[in-house]
Amino acid sequence: MQLIVTAISKDYGSIPAVRQVSFQINSGEIFALLGPNGAGKSSIIRMLVGMTKPDQGSILVSHQDEHYDHVPRRLLGYLPEDRGLYPDKSIEKNLLYLAQLHGLSKQKALKEMAHWLEVFDLTDRRDEDLKQLSKGNQQKVQLIAAVLHQPALVILDEPFSGLDPINQEKVVGFLKALKARGMTVILSAHQMAMVEKLADHMLLMAKGSAILTGTLADIQQQAGPQRQMAISCAGPVNVEQLQQWLPDLAIEVISANRFILKLTAEQSVSATLKLLVNELELTQVEMQTADLHQLYLMAMARHQQREPA
Amino acid sequence: MISRQSVTVAKWEFLRFFKWKQQLISYLLMMAVMAAVALWSYFTDESRKVYRIAVPAEFTISNTEQFQFQRPTIALDEQLAQLKDGESWHGVVTLSPDKEAESGVVLHTLAAKKWQQQLEAELNNYFRQQYATELQLTAGQLSRLQQPLALEYVYLDEDFKGKDTPEKMIALGVLILLFIGLSTAFGQVLLSITGEKQQRVTEQLYAIVTPQQWMDGKVLGHSLSAMKAMVTSALVMLLVFIVVSVVVRDDGINLSWLNWGVLAWLVPFALLGVLLSACFMGAIAASIDDPNTSGKGAVMMITWLPMLFTYLVIDSPTGTAMTVLSWLPLTSFAAMPVKMAMVDLPWWQPALSLLLLVAAVWWMRRVAGRIFLRGMQMYGKEPSWGQIVGWALSNKAD
Repeated sequence: MQLIVTAISKDYGSIPAVRQVSFQINSGEIFALLGPNGAGKSSIIRMLVGMTKPDQGSILVSHQDEHYDHVPRRLLGYLPEDRGLYPDKSIEKNLLYLAQLHGLSKQKALKEMAHWLEVFDLTDRRDEDLKQLSKGNQQKVQLIAAVLHQPALVILDEPFSGLDPINQEKVVGFLKALKARGMTVILSAHQMAMVEKLADHMLLMAKGSAILTGTLADIQQQAGPQRQMAISCAGPVNVEQLQQWLPDLAIEVISANRFILKLTAEQSVSATLKLLVNELELTQVEMQTADLHQLYLMAMARHQQREPA
Repeated sequence: MISRQSVTVAKWEFLRFFKWKQQLISYLLMMAVMAAVALWSYFTDESRKVYRIAVPAEFTISNTEQFQFQRPTIALDEQLAQLKDGESWHGVVTLSPDKEAESGVVLHTLAAKKWQQQLEAELNNYFRQQYATELQLTAGQLSRLQQPLALEYVYLDEDFKGKDTPEKMIALGVLILLFIGLSTAFGQVLLSITGEKQQRVTEQLYAIVTPQQWMDGKVLGHSLSAMKAMVTSALVMLLVFIVVSVVVRDDGINLSWLNWGVLAWLVPFALLGVLLSACFMGAIAASIDDPNTSGKGAVMMITWLPMLFTYLVIDSPTGTAMTVLSWLPLTSFAAMPVKMAMVDLPWWQPALSLLLLVAAVWWMRRVAGRIFLRGMQMYGKEPSWGQIVGWALSNKAD
């Protein structure tokens, strides 16, 4: 399944939720929508699902030579941001009901269910009512509900929220398994470390607009000051003097004798080092690359500077 | 016409509220309560006791099974003192010293009791006979005076089956059963739809079934529940009738008064009436965001009005009001079966009324589906009545 989203916008009354956002998702890849609360991620997801329509722009969904303006229900597995199931029914009854609504036979649904319950260590609890489960386990049941019918596209709105680190890792494994089965996955998340491990492409949003898009490497490229040097010296560092020597570089002091230099793509590592070696007694030099979390924070900070609230 | 998904939703909703064990227990409890009430009335029945009543010496009143009339020779004060002690009498009857008083008779007792009404009837009878004697009336003349007018009704409208016939009881039974059915649907539809919103299942379901399929399933499932409640109640009513006939009256089972032709028409009217009401309830419930803060739930009770209106005109089954109610699709499901039970109608009248009702159900289910979709798109904001009416009247595709 391929999705091509072109310049979509959506307003709720006078409030703009999404502004001129474009992206493309290819078949079998994991695509991440990133951004703070209220960035417009869920609004985009609801337009993809067909719950709302874009005021402007277009959505083109292509699957096996058929084209749609939103993802057809039969091809979709969906975990909404606002989610829940029937708390007074067992895991099995909840999952069977949703699977049968998707058109699965009871036999096939039970087979698929057994597989995913095993993956999430819930096999022994299948007869328990949902209300007896922890919030994390309820979330796992909902993830299973979204994929039981083996959809071509799975949209997961905040799949990691409410999960402890061990279960977050399990969800990472779950998403990789979906990809291995050939499903296309769209997810929105705040957990950058998880997204970094998973996403083939990502879209970083703020206040309804796309601010960065592409692979992790693309985003690192677009992000600007993505390389940094962590430097330790034999003695204490005079920051003012350092700033005079390197007026174009951002300097972050870590301790009395350790600091970080942030370099833009145009700035030379060797020229900077030559200058420092002449002036300071260096004991350690370490090259670092900003991770997605840092890139995200930097991009958000730049966006806020450009577009004050 | 009804999709496979709607049937799955209907089955889920029906079984969700089908608690047969609890239902059986509630019927057993109801019967136990009825039995307890019957036993209580039997053991506290004052008419089976004998009461001693002191009357003035000049009274020639005769004893009955319930009352023994005694003529004490002691003074009134002493009689009242003994009455207070509860030893000699349950009541003391005197003639009022006030000659202007209307009744002229005074009953002294400790407190108000049910048997006093029977005593009053006995005293009335006694005084009537006294006056008749004074007027020198014969027993026959007195009996004719006491006889109420036997007014015989002759109805020239050959289609009207009569006022106090078994058909009227069937008509009342229909209204009671519809009330039971709609009360069942009312609670379940409200709980089911707003409950799903509270439990946040709605958006997930939207990704699987269309709003119309979802609403169709809900309406069908809860209508089946309502029909089940009506059938169960009808069976319980029939059981009570049989028990009373066989055990209490010793008459045997006689169901010849049941008009099977009318009953055959009742089923489609009742089913469509319940469907129409469930669609309306579904539409209102779909517009409620939070049942704890919304005042819209009470509007669902409008569905009870057709039964109320029909009951108000039940004694005029050929009147204009009943005619209008039996044709209007929003009320015909209650009025037409009642009218049919009491008046012979040509077959095309209920058939046409039924057809109009089918059209109304079809329209209402579309309205409910539209309101559910639009309401869901408002994300936590409750629509105004103006918006709801606008959606109901719009022909926009889902």
